[in-house]
Parts: sequence; C-alpha cells; structure tokens
Amino acid sequence: MTTPRMRIAECGVLMAIGLAALPLLAQSGPQSAPASTVVIRNATIVPVTSARIQNGTIVLRNGRIEAVGANVNAPSGATVIDGTGLFVYPGMIDAGTQLGLTEIGSVPGGEDTQEIGDFNPHNVAVTAVNPHSELIPVTRVNGVTTAITSAEGGLISGQAGLIDLMGWTPTDMAVRRQAAMVVNYPSLGGGGFGGGGGRFGGGDQSDAERRAELDRRTRALRSYFADAKAYADVKARAANGGARKLNQAMEAMIPVIRGEMPVIFDVTTADQIRGVLALADTFKLKVVLRGAREAWRLADTLAMRRIPVIVGPTTSVPGAEDPYDMTYANPGVLARAGVKIAFQTSDAANSRNLPYNAALAVAYGLDADAALRALTINAAEMFGVADRIGSLEPGKVANVVVTTGDPMDVRSVVRHLFIRGQPVPLDDRHTRLYEQFRARPRS
Amino acid sequence: MRTIAMVLAAVVLSAAASSATAQQRAAPRDTTTKRLSYPVPPAARLVAITNATIMTAAKGTIPKGTIVIRDGKIAAVGADVAVPAGAQVIDGNGKFVIPGIVDAHSHSAAEAINEGTQSITAQVRMEDVLRQDALGLYRELAGGVTTLNILHGSANTIGGQNATVKVRWGLPADSLLFEGAPPGIKFALGENVRQTNRTVLPGQERRYPRTRMGVEELLRDAFTRAQEYRRDWQAYDRARKSAKKGQAPVPPKRDLQLDALVEVLEGKRLVHCHSYRADEILMMLQVAKDFGFRVASFQHVLEGYKVADEIAAAGSGASTFADNWAYKLEAWDAIPHNATLMAERGVRVSINSDSDERARRLYQEAAKAMHYGGASEEEALKMITLHPAWQLGIDKRVGSIEVGKDADLAIFNGHPFAPASRVEMTLIDGRVFFDRNTAPTLEYLMELIRQQQGPRQVTEVVP
Repeated sequence: MTTPRMRIAECGVLMAIGLAALPLLAQSGPQSAPASTVVIRNATIVPVTSARIQNGTIVLRNGRIEAVGANVNAPSGATVIDGTGLFVYPGMIDAGTQLGLTEIGSVPGGEDTQEIGDFNPHNVAVTAVNPHSELIPVTRVNGVTTAITSAEGGLISGQAGLIDLMGWTPTDMAVRRQAAMVVNYPSLGGGGFGGGGGRFGGGDQSDAERRAELDRRTRALRSYFADAKAYADVKARAANGGARKLNQAMEAMIPVIRGEMPVIFDVTTADQIRGVLALADTFKLKVVLRGAREAWRLADTLAMRRIPVIVGPTTSVPGAEDPYDMTYANPGVLARAGVKIAFQTSDAANSRNLPYNAALAVAYGLDADAALRALTINAAEMFGVADRIGSLEPGKVANVVVTTGDPMDVRSVVRHLFIRGQPVPLDDRHTRLYEQFRARPRS
Repeated sequence: MRTIAMVLAAVVLSAAASSATAQQRAAPRDTTTKRLSYPVPPAARLVAITNATIMTAAKGTIPKGTIVIRDGKIAAVGADVAVPAGAQVIDGNGKFVIPGIVDAHSHSAAEAINEGTQSITAQVRMEDVLRQDALGLYRELAGGVTTLNILHGSANTIGGQNATVKVRWGLPADSLLFEGAPPGIKFALGENVRQTNRTVLPGQERRYPRTRMGVEELLRDAFTRAQEYRRDWQAYDRARKSAKKGQAPVPPKRDLQLDALVEVLEGKRLVHCHSYRADEILMMLQVAKDFGFRVASFQHVLEGYKVADEIAAAGSGASTFADNWAYKLEAWDAIPHNATLMAERGVRVSINSDSDERARRLYQEAAKAMHYGGASEEEALKMITLHPAWQLGIDKRVGSIEVGKDADLAIFNGHPFAPASRVEMTLIDGRVFFDRNTAPTLEYLMELIRQQQGPRQVTEVVP
C-alpha cells in the first residue's frame, strides 16, 4: 500500500484543483465557479442500483456524475485517475449519528446532543452542526460521505438533518436540513445500548412502578401527537389559512402529522415496535424504525406495511435472554422478508465503522449486495433524496469513493474521495498525528 | 418485553425437550437458566482438524493442513500430517483456523469491577469475584476468544489483582482460572484515578489524588512502603535463622496490600497499567525503573505512539484499542494507527476489548491494524493472539498454533479478517466449547417458534 504521506500528497494536488468550487452543488442556486472534471478509468465500478462494471469509467463534472459505463469517453481536459485495481462506490450513508453535535464526550461544553425536556420537535440538529468538527474528516476518509445527525433523549428529540460530510457552513452541508423527526419511543428500560431510548427509572424502581411510568410516558407521547393533530386541524380551518405561527413546537409537528416528514422511531424491542405501529395507524405517520434489534419478530408485518428499518449498531450486545447472534442476524432476517433496511452506527467518533457494522450482518446472513444497498441507496430512499444521492448514476450528486476493495472489508483502504464532485483530502486529525510522530527521531 | 422474552425462553426450553432436532442441540443451547447443570461436550483425547487453512501466528500460514490434538495439546501441525487412527475428525475444508484469541483487557467474568474506596487496593483479587455463568463469556467464545485477562477497574492508582482465565463456559468457576499463569495487578493513571470526570454530590469528599503529580507521589509512597516492608521481613528471616532456641523474633505485621507490591518489586507479579497520555506513561516507566520492576503491559496506552521508543526500551508491552477515541479529553489524541506505529518501533502490541461487546469481534478489530498504518496480516493476527499471550506471560502455553501448546483454537468459515466471516467453532484444551451448529442462534430460535406456534407466528402480528 502507499504510505499516508503519498496519499496526502496526491490529495494536495486534487485539493488545488477542486477547492475553488466549494459552494455546494446539490443546493439549488447558481454555481459560482466552474468545477473541474474528473475521470476515473479502468476501475471496477459498483453503481449499487445496477450491475457492477469491470474496467469501467466514471466522469464527474460540475459536482455531478456525468457518465458511468464500460464505454465512456473521457472528456478532454479532465483530471484522469487510473483506477486499475481499484473499486468505485457511491458514498455511504450513516442513518444515525450525532456527528457535528459532539466533540469530546466527557467535555460538556462541546455537547449539543441532548436538550432539556421531553418534547423538542422544534429543535433542528443542523443548527448546531459544527462543520469543522475533527470527527467529520475522520469519518469521511472511510467512505462515509453522508449522515443523518440528530440529538437524542426525551420523547421527541428534535429534527434530524441529512448532511454531507463537507462544507464551510451547516447550510452548505445540509442535503436536507429537516430530514426527519426523531422520536425516542418509551421502553421499560434496561434495553441496553442501541436506540432503545426513552429509558427512565433507576434500579430502585419496582417492576410495577416501571410499568406505570412506561404507561404514563406512552400516553404523554400519544397525547402530544393528538395535540399536534388538533393544532394542525385548527390551523387548516383558520380563516387566514393558518398563516400565524402560534407555537413553535406545534408548528414543527405539522409536517409530521400531515405525513410529509418521516418520523424516526428509536426502538429496541418488539413491544415498542407494536406501540409505534399503533401510533402510526392513529396518526397516519410516515414511520422509519431505528435500532429495532427485535424487528425480526415482526419482519413480515414490516415488509407488508412497507416500513423501513434502520438497523444497528450491530455492535450492540443482545439482551440477556436473546440469542448470541441476534444483533448480527436481525438485518438479514429483515432483508430476506422484504423489509427495506439501512444501517446506523448511533455514534459520532466511530461513525467511520459503518461498513464494518454491515460486515457483521453479512457474516450472519445478510446478502452482501443487500448490505451495500443498505449502506447507500436505501437510506437515500427513506429520506426522499434517492434522486440525488445513494448510487452511481448519471445526474446524481458525485459522492464517490475509490477504494482498494469492498468497503465492508476492514483491510480495504480509500484512495480517492469526492463529495459533491469535490476531491476531498484524505487527511484528518489522526493521519496528521500519525505523520507527526512517525517522524519523531528515534531515541 | 421481559414477558415476551420469558415466553420465548420457555419456548426454547420446552422445544428443546420435545423436538428431535432440538435434542442434539440441547446441551449448550439454553442461555437463560440452568447453565450450571448443562454439560459441556467431554474432551476427546484425540482430535484432528483436517484440510484447513491454518494461520499459526508464529510460523506463517499453512494453506491446506492438519492439526492433531492429543490430550488437549497440539501434537502435530502441518501440510503432511496424517490423521491418527481413532481421532475425532473435524472437517476443516474451506475453513480457517487461528489460535484462540487472547483478550488482554476484560471484565467479562467479574461480578464486581472496582473496589473504588481508596486509591490503593492491591489486596483485592478478581479471582474472588469470577462467575462462570456470565453470558458475556459465551458470546466471546462465539467470537473465537479463549483467554481473558480479567482486570480490576481503573478507579484506583493501584487496583486489585487480575485473574487470567480460559473461557471454559459452563464449567464451575474454579475451572476458569488459567493454571500456572503468572499473577498480575492493575495500575491506573490519569482521569479515572483523579476522578475528575465524575459528578461529586454535595457533602461528598474528593479523594486524593486529583492531579497526575499526586498519582506519581502515591505510587512512590506505596513502593517505598513496600521496600520497607520487604526489608522488615528480610531482617526477620535473618533473625529467625540466627536466633537461639526459645528466642524467636517477632514477625512484622502481615500486610496483604504490601505483600502484593513486594511481589511486584520482586518481578513475581506483572503490572498491567491503564494509561492514556504520553507524560503519564513516561512517569510510570520512571517510577518502575527507580523501583526496579518492569511494567508488563500498558493498557489502552492511547498516546503510546508518542513514546513508543521509551516503551520498547523498557521491554513493556502495549495493549490498546483498535480505534476508540474522543470519549474523553485524554482520548483526544488517540489515533487508530497507534498499534502499528508502536509495533514499527519495536513494541509488542496487542489489541484488546475492555468490553463484552468488542470482545466478540476482536478479529475485526485486529484487521484495523492493517487498515491504519498497514500492519502485515501476521502482525495483525499476533496482536490478538501471541502478543497478548506474551504480555500475560502465557505465550509458552497459548497464542500460536505450535506443537506442544494448548489446543486453544478458533475455526472460521472464511478468512478471519474478511467481511463475511464468522466463528464456527471454538476449542479450549482441545475441547469444543462453542459450535455454531449446536449454538442458540437467532435462526434456531425462529425455527423453534415456527415449530411451536406455526409459521406465521415467527414474524407475527398481521393486524
């Protein structure tokens, strides 16, 4: 393999070519500078939505994918990358992170991951995304170009943003500023790590007390949705067409109640999923389940109702009564039943391990191609941006990863990275420290 | 959820009793109750694993080879090894065999982790709180782990005595202990022992030390006391030998804490030192040098790459995470290249879990040493086998596939670093402690529910 130093050098050149065009192209609006054209030749191209292409060529121009195929002519004047022995994939999407909202876990000053109170539908995560977080470059150099990021906690945690992992400002980064509402569905607690959320109570609560608390919180959530529906109905009937905004939180719930904004329900158990389905039936919600390690219990139901599931992290420990491989095997069961799945790390510092989460699912029964779709196009479909990202197709935003092999294989290394057609340097806090101390004179 | 899980567990039990398919799987299947009474398959005296790719972690990889196990030890390994008559044969065709994984930092079998009331608790022993039914052990077996270093927590500058165990899940707790493993002790530096990340309640007193200087002072004070204590005992031993009859000297007061530290001074007890920052690693090396002992392993050692030469020169090992970082300030300069950079500078490096979760997939963690910094495949493998075994002083027994060593092996369905690979079988002392074919998998649970409740019930709820 080449040394990181060489990789950085290559990237420096690409940076020089590409930096001028940073105003981001997936956003509407004029392009302020002509972007360079990049051609990757002789590579194995994995478009995800169609068959892989041996010895293929992909052309990136003006932030978009212009052409993909075996017989594509390279336009003149383009920067050419020889992809011999390399593989080209669409950028991966981590469908559950706190990227940009956290820096050093134990330092409270940098944490914007949890708001006070149970109901914060008006809080928009992208508002607080730090584009210059050191965690972001570390993530993207592993091929994760896009992420759902959101706060957690309470019952309605706020609005998740879908962001590309590059940009000068939060707005630059946003693919969808308000991509989904995040609901932390209540549970009995003790569900362990992985989106089981809504936990409460300490060890000194009796089972009956915990059950009563669960009922109280479930009712509180349901009545909040009922309030939101009433609010939306009243506003719709108001003489002035509901133009006056009276309540920020309720305003934020209107697209949810109208079924326009997807609602991510963070759940763990089958019981919670049943609760979500009942809530969705009452209020006609556009549901995306997340975490959901007992979703296998309802696989056929979820497939029939076309409810997508963001699985993971597969690197969570099953419950005490669960089969040892449950978190690994759950994604495969869902996919075979016909449920659309995507992956989340539920992490920030190690969101970069997204493909390795999927690898564990593949080892325990998920089809490898299904896993690739789950890492890319499926999440894009869940959040309504599949026309823009998630696969290598002409016209799509050029989030492109060039690797030495299957991104789910830990041994593979990313060699080139493009976000919105911009070449992204493959350095980060870690490579810088590595280079610095690798050069320390031997004592 | 609890109710449903219990029902499922009941289904598992009742079906295991009634169905023929379940019968053969019954032994290790139940993960909820009666663990103690469930028999582990008896050890076969003669076992052969045939036609497997054998990654020895010592002498390269044998593409198609055979391992012969006799009485729990590796009796032969190679491409041209004959299967002895009467051997129980495990068909390794298409499979990869690696040495059983050694996790140099675990708390899995421990009922308690921290005696956190004082900053020196050298007298407490992890072997007193081991439980053989800790479910984490079974999941780790299912990830190919065979040996664990069960450490005291990091609340104290000098924590308790660790226990090196084999993951003999299902056998009585005493059977867990790794016979003949050198004793050790946990040290810790930095934020955890300073207790600066914890919320102090009103009226609660702060514990000394609160600074890294205080941590050093505490160490020096403890070892100075240990030196004195040792001199008192040496003087007593001399006096006793030369004493006239009827004039036996009075022995010094026995101190269990200092007993352990004297063993450290005498090189009889290995120090495993939790550490993060370069400065505190250097401090520990200096203290150890001044008192004449070696730090066997620095644990976590996330800034070890900054002082790799010093660690190597002291002959200490380094046991680190693959890529954990940013969870606290002292983990801010952690880099995933840490393992390979230290290895390049001559440090023997292991990759550990410190987690019941990560321990299940240390093979994936080891591959990250190839991803970050380009370790060779064999070096990456050694980081979870031979190197941690060396750090624990048990590398003559385990850590590689060599004749004479314990037959602790993990059998994968593919290359252990490949994305679609999983552990099929785990052997300890030649005995199969995990076999996926008879394991309580999700697939099997679904099959049981199908049999018990009909096919629709598996994925249920048709509203």
